[in-house]
Amino acid sequence: MSIQYKTISQLREMIDAKSISSQELVKETLKLAESLKELNCFVTMNKDEGIKKAIEVDGTNTSNSLLKGIPLAQKDLFCTEGLRTTCSSKILADFVPPYTATAVEKLENAGSITIGKTNMDEFAMGSSNETSFFGNVHNPWKKGYVPGGSSGGSAAAVAAGIIPAATGTDTGGSIRQPAAHCGITGIKPTYGRVSRWGMIAFASSLDQAGPLARSAEDCAILLNEMSGYDPKDTTCLNVENTNLLQSINQPIKGLKIGIVKEFNLGDLKAEVQIRFEESKKIYESLGAEFVEISLPSISASVPTYYSIAPAECSSNLSRFDGVRFGYRAKDTDDLNDLYIKSRSEGFGDEVKRRILIGTYALSAGYYDAYYKKAQQVRRLIKNDFEVAFRSIDLIMTPTSPGTAFAFGSKGVQNPVELYLEDLFTISSNLAGLPAISIPHGKVNGLPVGLQLIGNFLKEDLLLNAAHIFQQNSEFHLERPSMEEF
Amino acid sequence: MDQETVRTICYLARLEIDKDKAEKIENELEAIINLIGGLQAFDTENIEPLYSPLEQKAFKHEDIENSDNKKDEFLKNAAASNDDYFLVPRVVE
Repeated sequence: MSIQYKTISQLREMIDAKSISSQELVKETLKLAESLKELNCFVTMNKDEGIKKAIEVDGTNTSNSLLKGIPLAQKDLFCTEGLRTTCSSKILADFVPPYTATAVEKLENAGSITIGKTNMDEFAMGSSNETSFFGNVHNPWKKGYVPGGSSGGSAAAVAAGIIPAATGTDTGGSIRQPAAHCGITGIKPTYGRVSRWGMIAFASSLDQAGPLARSAEDCAILLNEMSGYDPKDTTCLNVENTNLLQSINQPIKGLKIGIVKEFNLGDLKAEVQIRFEESKKIYESLGAEFVEISLPSISASVPTYYSIAPAECSSNLSRFDGVRFGYRAKDTDDLNDLYIKSRSEGFGDEVKRRILIGTYALSAGYYDAYYKKAQQVRRLIKNDFEVAFRSIDLIMTPTSPGTAFAFGSKGVQNPVELYLEDLFTISSNLAGLPAISIPHGKVNGLPVGLQLIGNFLKEDLLLNAAHIFQQNSEFHLERPSMEEF
Repeated sequence: MDQETVRTICYLARLEIDKDKAEKIENELEAIINLIGGLQAFDTENIEPLYSPLEQKAFKHEDIENSDNKKDEFLKNAAASNDDYFLVPRVVE
C-alpha cells in the first residue's frame, strides 16, 4: 500500500489498525525520498536513527499523541543532536550540533520520527532556494522551477507527498511563500508562540518557526505540539496553549475579512486577480463579509525589512569566525586573516550581501538614518494593524505576487527584484502577527497561494478559516504529476 | 556608495570580496541602499523605535547550576582544539 500523499490522520489510522508499523512507514518514506532524490529536497537523511526510533515507538503504548510514529522532516536550520545541521551553507557543512532545538524536541517527544533535514536558502536568506550551497530544489509541479524559499526543501518534500508535514521557519515569508509556490499549506505563528531555541538565528526579532503540511488540519496537529513556553528562549511567550483542533470546524458566518486597499491588487496579473476574486466568493458563500481597510504605512514594509533583517543578520552571523565551529580556511597568516578568509570562503554571495548591508546600516553615521528609522517605521506598520484589527477579524491577500519561476530568472542582475517576492508576507513578521498560506488554484499550471493574516495569538481563527475553506474546496487536494522526476 | 565605503564595511564585517565581483557587488549594495532610502519619506517624528514586536521585558532565568558538561562535544566541532581549548594562530609573540 502506498503511503505517498497520506495525511497525518490517515497514517494514524493505518498505524492504529496495525496495517502498517511505524518502522515500515519510516522505511517506506525513506524509500520514497530516495526515489525522488532528483528534487533535491534533503540535505541529510536520518536513516539509521530514524528506523531505530520507529522501532522504539512501535514497542511503546504510553503515548496517545496523533504524531506517534509519524515521519516528519526538519528544515536544516533546526539544531538536531548528533545529526548534521548545515543551514545549507558551506560554513556549516560539517556541523553536528550537541543539542536539539526545542521545537523539534517537542515534536519528537510527541513520538514523531525525523527522517531527514531539508534543503533551504543559505541561512534562510532567499525566496527561491537558489542560494543553497547544496544546490537548487526543484518544484514538484515543474522541473527547473523554484519551490520558493527559504523553506523550499520542506515545501517540496510535502508537496511531493514524501512526508505529511515538515517544519519551516519564516522571517519574511519563508514558510508561506514556498507553501504557495508548491500548492500546500503553511503557517507562521505569532512571534513568541514557538521557541526559537536551537534555531540558527537569521533575524532574531522576526524569525518564527512553524509547520508546512497539505492541509490546515495537519498544520494544526504540528503547531499544537511545537508551541509553548520555553525558559530557554527569553522571547518565548508564556501564554496558555489552546488546542487548535478544537475550534477548527467552527462555522465562519459573520467573519469580517479586510482587503488592504494599498496593496493595489489591480496591478497583479489578471489570472492572480481572478483566483483571488474566486476565493473571496467561496468565503462569501460561507457567510464571511469583506471590508476594505487601509494600512497607510504598508508600502514601507519591504524597505523596513531590508534594513532590519540584514542588520540583525550581520550581528547574528558574526559568530561564524572559523574558531569554535564551522569551516576554517587553510593557510592563514594571523587571527584576523583566519576570520576574514573563513567567512569569505564559507559564506555564499547573498549572505555576504546581507551582512554588508546590515553592517552598513549599523555603522557609525548611518545607524539613525537606516536602522533606527526602520524600527520607527516598523512601529507605524504595527500601529496600522492594531487600528485595522479593531474592526475586522482577518486580513486576506495573495501570498505572493506571482507563481514559481524558472531557476535563474529573477534577481540575477538586481537582488531587489527577488526581494519584492515578499511584498505581501513581510509586514506580519515586522508586526509579529500570525499568518497562513493556503493553496487556491493554479495559474499557468502552477499553484498560487492565498494569505490570511490574523491578530496577535489568533492562530486558532486562522486555522479555522483555512480549514473551513478547505472543507469547501478541493485546491489542497490537487497533486503534481511529477512525471519529470 | 563608493569603493572606499565598501572596503570599510567589508573590513568591519571581516569579509573579502573577489576583485572580479567588486563592481557587481557595489552596484547591488547601491540598489539595496536606494530601496531602504525610501524610508526617509515616512514621518517618524516622536515615534519610538519598535525593536521587538512583543515589547515585553526579557525575563531572567533561575540561576540554577546543572551538571551538563558537554565540553568534549563542543570542542569536537572546532577545526583545531586540544583537550581543553579552541586553538587559533598565535596572537602573542
